[in-house]
Amino acid sequence: MLKLVSIHTSYNNIKALKGIDIEVNKGEIVCLIGSNGAGKTTTLLTISGILKPDSGDIIFEGKSLKNISPHSIVNRGICQVPEGRRIFPRLTVLENLEMGAYSVNSKYQISNFKNNIEKVFSLFPILKERIKQHGGTLSGGEQQMLAIGRALMANPKLLLLDEPSLGLAPIMVSKIFRTIKEINEEGVTILLVEQNAKAALRLSHRGYVLENGAIKLHGSGEDLLHNEDVKNAYLGE
Amino acid sequence: MLLQQLINGLTLGGVYAIIAIGYTMVYGILELINFAHGEIYMLGAYLAIIFLGLFTAMGLTAASIPIALILTAILTIIFCSAYGFTIEKVAYKPLRNAPRLSPLISAIGVSIFLQNYVMLTQGATDKVFPHRFGEAGFQFMDVNVTYLQALIILVSGLLMFFLHLFIHKTRMGKAMRATAQDKTMAALVGINVDNIISATFIIGAGLAAVAGIMVASYYGLVNYFIGYIAGIKAFTAAVLGGIGNIPGAMLGGIILGLVESTGSAYISSEYKDAYAFIILIIILLIKPSGILGKTTEEKV
Ligand SMILES: Nc1ncnc2c1ncn2[C@@H]1O[C@H](COP(=O)(O)OP(=O)(O)OP(=O)(O)O)[C@@H](O)[C@H]1O
Ligand SMILES: [Mg+2]
Repeated sequence: MLKLVSIHTSYNNIKALKGIDIEVNKGEIVCLIGSNGAGKTTTLLTISGILKPDSGDIIFEGKSLKNISPHSIVNRGICQVPEGRRIFPRLTVLENLEMGAYSVNSKYQISNFKNNIEKVFSLFPILKERIKQHGGTLSGGEQQMLAIGRALMANPKLLLLDEPSLGLAPIMVSKIFRTIKEINEEGVTILLVEQNAKAALRLSHRGYVLENGAIKLHGSGEDLLHNEDVKNAYLGE
Repeated sequence: MLLQQLINGLTLGGVYAIIAIGYTMVYGILELINFAHGEIYMLGAYLAIIFLGLFTAMGLTAASIPIALILTAILTIIFCSAYGFTIEKVAYKPLRNAPRLSPLISAIGVSIFLQNYVMLTQGATDKVFPHRFGEAGFQFMDVNVTYLQALIILVSGLLMFFLHLFIHKTRMGKAMRATAQDKTMAALVGINVDNIISATFIIGAGLAAVAGIMVASYYGLVNYFIGYIAGIKAFTAAVLGGIGNIPGAMLGGIILGLVESTGSAYISSEYKDAYAFIILIIILLIKPSGILGKTTEEKV
């Protein structure tokens, strides 16, 4: 479904990605783990078209995403829950969700919007109670739920999640992971970036380990969980 | 006497407010003080004179003044919006990732260019608005309100009302607010940020055009320099209300108009143009974020 071919991305002169190959198949949960500064966020921002790669290609459903602007990439079905959630602080919860549906509004009917918003509210009932509250006044966990809900409003084919568990209480973390599984079971393909490597690998069909802007290892979630290097470096065992 | 000044102030204030909205909307999205915005207002005044002059020559004004004025307004708004759109594409968009000072300098350049362009093509002397509205009006609580004043207050009020509805109720208005708050995230939900920025310039320029038409008809005289003074006053109004904040620009404009008219009546009309600067200095000293502005820690 998604294929990154030898992607190089840099910030001014700093080379952040040095030739990355990643493949995500339809229906999978694939996770990308790595230490701080490895290039995980850079990878997701490059897929979404926010950063332009210096070289390499990204193929989604058989078509290149080269020189495609970020909003058109969303229209093709790739949505992102970015690092730091990036809720629109002075839009209400409802308006944030409406913005999530921005790319589909023109194509589908109101009923689609209503279905999606009901689905989001059944995943995260608290959002329904906060519907008129400004996004910026939500708690961190609520913002994370809103960020995921907002991305789901667009009927994504592929969902990119950048550290969805960051800064959340353990109960919230397990809720978010359960939700990711549910979303995947409903047919959404997922590329997940996580610091919480153990939980992420357990959840994922396959995983990639990123180190210094290059893929160091990849394999099934199960294999990586039992890999000695991964255990030492990322699972703290 | 006071009530009379309040009516005069409201007339002026409405005009300042709708110019100030253009400053504040562009600032809200690009964090750019669009120094060329006052020049759009000046172009609006000139274009109105040119189009109405044309309609007068064609005999349309003699046939129906309202139709001639409405057509003039429509054409002026279209032309000014086209200027606003083009200025953004030519002078600001190529500098979007440049250091912050660069687009600011570019804006000053556009402003100087437009002033000289109008001076060269239209002459350096005052131009006269082709239609005199006269003093006809009505009594309102012992005060004379001319029909033109009432029209200006009504039009600026309606424009502000509809802009507010647009920003808060329409899909595009919400996308504008989202873009102002976080451009990257706006792109990640599928908003075409370039289109939103263009729309912002088009709306701002259209409002400035209306302000230009109203001032040209109110004072009857314009010159190529009016955009500079009005620009500074509207900028002051935007800062007074809290730059980036649309209701703030409306409030700031009206306060500035009221201060100017009461100040001219009770203190001295010699300082008519100085009140804006005094207000600007006071607000920068006391509350730089403006009346409705957020404190600076909350960026975006
Ligand atoms: N805007 C930027 N300008 C310059 N360098 C950047 C920028 N953003 C990231 N980098 C650098 O690129 C490298 C990769 O950063 P990236 O944000 O992709 O890491 P990450 O794997 O997501 O890390 P973390 O787990 O801490 O979020 C880092 O060395 C970082 O310093
Ligand atoms: Mg990151």
